[in-house]
Amino acid sequence: MHTLDPHCQALLGSFDELLPTLQEMEGTLLREIKAVLAEAGLLVASLESRVKGRDSLAGKLELKGSKYKGIADITDLVGLRVITFYSDDVDKVASAIERLYDIDWENSVDKRKLLEIDSFGYLSLHYICKDKRFPVRFEIQMRTLLQHAWANMNHDTGYKSGVDIPKRYKRAMSRIAGMLELVDDEFSRIRMELTDYRRRVQALVKSGNLDEVSLDRDSFKSYLELRPFDGLNKRIAAVNQAEIQEVSLLPYLNIFAFLGCKTLGDIARLVKGYSEGAYQLACYQIGLTDLDIIASSLGPQDLCITYILKSGGGKAGIRRMFDLLNGASESNELMAGLLVEQSKDLAFMNQ
Amino acid sequence: MEVIINNEAHGCEAKLIGRLDTAASQEVSDALQPLMDKAGGTLVLDCHEMTYIASSGLRIFLNLRKAAALKGGKVIVRGINSDIRNVFMMTGFLNLFQIED
Repeated sequence: MHTLDPHCQALLGSFDELLPTLQEMEGTLLREIKAVLAEAGLLVASLESRVKGRDSLAGKLELKGSKYKGIADITDLVGLRVITFYSDDVDKVASAIERLYDIDWENSVDKRKLLEIDSFGYLSLHYICKDKRFPVRFEIQMRTLLQHAWANMNHDTGYKSGVDIPKRYKRAMSRIAGMLELVDDEFSRIRMELTDYRRRVQALVKSGNLDEVSLDRDSFKSYLELRPFDGLNKRIAAVNQAEIQEVSLLPYLNIFAFLGCKTLGDIARLVKGYSEGAYQLACYQIGLTDLDIIASSLGPQDLCITYILKSGGGKAGIRRMFDLLNGASESNELMAGLLVEQSKDLAFMNQ
Repeated sequence: MEVIINNEAHGCEAKLIGRLDTAASQEVSDALQPLMDKAGGTLVLDCHEMTYIASSGLRIFLNLRKAAALKGGKVIVRGINSDIRNVFMMTGFLNLFQIED
């Protein structure tokens, strides 16, 4: 139970009257911030909001109620918190917020800039915002997931409790804050390097230096943009005047890796060296049918089958390929056997 | 061609009986409309008694897959015979569906 003087009781009364407006305001702000983050392409760990609880406000007024002339002087009646994954995203979120609302710079705090160079602790960016649609200002806090974790732990270990905690615990928390700051910086650095790597890979793929590009998910995606199997698919489709349905070819990344491809150059050589065999196999299979639809995965599928057969992988190799693509099944064994039978008299097997 | 639809809590199952050839495709496509409406869940195509599939049938399967992909659902093709499995393989459709025995 809080003991409040008449001034503070009046402030609390104003809060009660304003409560429905504050709740509506919270919903509006949440929607607007969600939208602006999505528009900016910012993926955040979480977006939280709250209207200050009556009891919490009473506690605040009991401690420093005389500081506030009216209810509008209290800036955290509605509060939102944006938790980012990366430290450099905090500034991007801040910039998005600045586009949305007027910032009361005099009362906003960048805790990141307040710490001395040899101390570590609470790092968070607090904006006090105003918007003429709303009767009171509101607070938006922005920080990383790790800063958020530290702040919560620090809160639990005594912050704001009014009871001072032993120095050794404060030092331990400070040590953790320093470590988390380092980890946050590392996460950002890794993301930046990965982005650089992806750009380099795209440039190498575009310039045709495929032997210099290791096979991984990113490089394979870039390679697929060159549509390396289009020629083969179109040749196969022409046999029955079939339409080609575009499907994802990413599952073939594992298959090319299984076949020993280490670089995109290895795949390019496979396409060059085995397309004729793949075409012969497809002609044999669909040439006598009236099937007039194929998936764009047919080209790489038949290419890999041809490679396996020509390099002596036989039935076991084809089965392994189907197992990797579709999950293990006895019917993969039957299909592999059929393919070995079908291909043994084809020209490519005897060249 | 006969289609029997069973609505389930988290999706829909359709039992396909007979030949899914060009002549039957429009009728089958219409009959499978309830699956399109439930594409956000798990769609099961029970093909144990389906004896044949033509290109038009593959298109129907593909449309279901597209609807499911759009709505975050999945399509399970269950019990296809070896001839139909070969058609899936010859056309590159095999890894487009979760195929169960």
